[in-house]
Amino acid sequence: MTSLILAVAMLLSLSAAAFAQEPVVINMFISQPEYADAVRELIDAYKAVAPDVTINYETTQSDYPTLLKTKINAGETPDIFSTTSGKEIGVYLDYSYNFADQPAAAAMQDSVKSVMKSGDEVHGFALKSNFFGIVYNKAIFEKVGITEFPATLEEMKAACETLSAAGYQPFSTGFAEWWVYKHVFQHFLNAASDDPETLVGKFIAGEAKFKDYPVLYDNFFQFLDLAVQYGDAKPLETDLASEEAAIGTGKAAMILGQGAWVEADIANIDPEFRLGFNGYPISENAADCKVISGSDQALRIFKDSKVLQSTLDFVNWWYTSEYGRNWFSDVAGVIPPLKDVKAPDMEVIKQGNELSAAKGAGAVSVSYSTDSFHQAFGEILQAYVGKTITRDEACSQIEQKWVELEGSK
Amino acid sequence: MRKQHASALQRTAVRETVLFTLPAVILVTLMIYVPFLLSGFYSLTEWNGISKAPVFIGLENFRRIFSGDPGFIKALVFTAKYAFFFIIFSNVLALALSVALNQKFALANTLRGMFFLPYIMSMTIVGFIWKFIFSQGFDKLSELTGWGVWTYSWLGDSGLAFWSVVAVGVWQSLGFYIVLYIAGLQAIPPDVLQASQIDGANGSQRFFRVTLPLLGPSITTCVFMSLTNSLKVFDIILALTKGGPGGATYSATLEIYREAFQNNNYGLGSAKAIVFFVMVLILTQFVLRLFQRREVEL
Repeated sequence: MTSLILAVAMLLSLSAAAFAQEPVVINMFISQPEYADAVRELIDAYKAVAPDVTINYETTQSDYPTLLKTKINAGETPDIFSTTSGKEIGVYLDYSYNFADQPAAAAMQDSVKSVMKSGDEVHGFALKSNFFGIVYNKAIFEKVGITEFPATLEEMKAACETLSAAGYQPFSTGFAEWWVYKHVFQHFLNAASDDPETLVGKFIAGEAKFKDYPVLYDNFFQFLDLAVQYGDAKPLETDLASEEAAIGTGKAAMILGQGAWVEADIANIDPEFRLGFNGYPISENAADCKVISGSDQALRIFKDSKVLQSTLDFVNWWYTSEYGRNWFSDVAGVIPPLKDVKAPDMEVIKQGNELSAAKGAGAVSVSYSTDSFHQAFGEILQAYVGKTITRDEACSQIEQKWVELEGSK
Repeated sequence: MRKQHASALQRTAVRETVLFTLPAVILVTLMIYVPFLLSGFYSLTEWNGISKAPVFIGLENFRRIFSGDPGFIKALVFTAKYAFFFIIFSNVLALALSVALNQKFALANTLRGMFFLPYIMSMTIVGFIWKFIFSQGFDKLSELTGWGVWTYSWLGDSGLAFWSVVAVGVWQSLGFYIVLYIAGLQAIPPDVLQASQIDGANGSQRFFRVTLPLLGPSITTCVFMSLTNSLKVFDIILALTKGGPGGATYSATLEIYREAFQNNNYGLGSAKAIVFFVMVLILTQFVLRLFQRREVEL
């Protein structure tokens, strides 16, 4: 008798559950933990707009690609996930949704959209547009009498000597991080060719060699040598945190391989910090010294998501609603990847925009290779900085890795 | 009647054995054997870990490994060097410390606990602690003492990074071997030692002629364990140097991880894992036989 009652009760509750309103759960697993607080505020704001939708937000930095692959292969692909822009759009193409016809795609800036596309399809959206260049301490520069940012290699050498003589450490290099190298290299890549994307394509096909491009073979390595000479005492032990500490405490005058994202951290260390921002000195031609702007990170939407429409609604709201559009500047403090939205009042952005207007901005050439290559690239250059391999060995290893890791996969 | 009863008991005994070990066998099969077989399958494919279907390429991956993969060879050499120094340092230090800690003095138990503590720390914590020591800690020490040794780049110089990794690896697992050696020392019957003392043996003779041979089983166990643990070293390196600087501290396991996940070449990574497994198997069997033959029975 009791078992009959139990069985009936179970059936009733099951059917009730089936008829009840299915709460929608969106799984968001991305790799930009520095914006975790801002994203949580965004999700809270969306809850007010769509109460039935719960967004499970997870983020991590280290080992993100491995964790993402594990999730994909376990059948738990997140509804929103991160990759890099450019080449990696193609790597994860099987899993991402083409939302070219959505309002979010229309709201995106063209320069951002161009690195999110595969053919005519739009496969990624961005958390932010970025600026890449040298961040420096204006106060120190003024103190030692450098009035204009050294835009050529000769001027940079002279500036380093002046800074060094005055007791400052000219550079903090962050060479322990593998990604610092790709951020510096992309500036030289842009100067080596008018079409850096095709140039990278040639390297990947094994047709190009470093020796054919003096900007890469000579200037880039000269700059690296300069950075090591006038940089940290233990270059291969300095990471991002050490770089920010060095410049924030007034020990170092310039930091390498960084961009817009460090401004908030430096302001935390020294609220009175006067930030300067400029490109890298590439050659004796000051016009080559440009900042780079664009988006190197892409957020993707899972094509076979069970809650695809709800995810699209969320992304569209993020990019088109009043709150969403202002979130980039006001809450996250990043450059909005959208058209016609004001940027936050931050020095890197203001100066970056001024420099772009005056000299033009370079393309985000890191996006022409995947992070698999860039990690190997960073390791090879670490060995060069640590003086265990020569420049020629480094170049031939890099050329080999480009073919091995990026070719025909 | 008795025969039937005996065989019924035997059947029960067998059934109990099977049933009690079944959960463990199932778990081990699922967690170890099945992934191992799948690894074997993936080693015959080319797959980037992302696309929906791996491409079958037969023994191509193995051909690539055996025709000279410089990264893998470098990692194997590193692992061999690491294993060699790790086994020596951890066993000698553990033996010395366990002899010292086996004496009866006031703080013996507290000290034993302190030496064991690093072993139960998580790798992330160990990594953070030692990164801090190597950078800020050593900076402060060099300020205080002025010695040059503190100013070297212990994690940034490729030669020194090896010794840093060995040092932290030995530091971390010392407690484990101390426990094993103390247990071995306490299993030595005291009358044998007393007899040797009466026969006129001094301290070091007692140690080398009586204690050490009787510690044979413990030494075999510890050397075997330190061999397998050092060949499989992964998390210490990941926590301290991530294989840097410039790829100088890649162990075989970390190289396999890099090949599979960073280079997006899961097939080749699995093939390397299988090759490495065979190497470790052969080596450990050889070492085990060698040491077991030299054990002394009391």
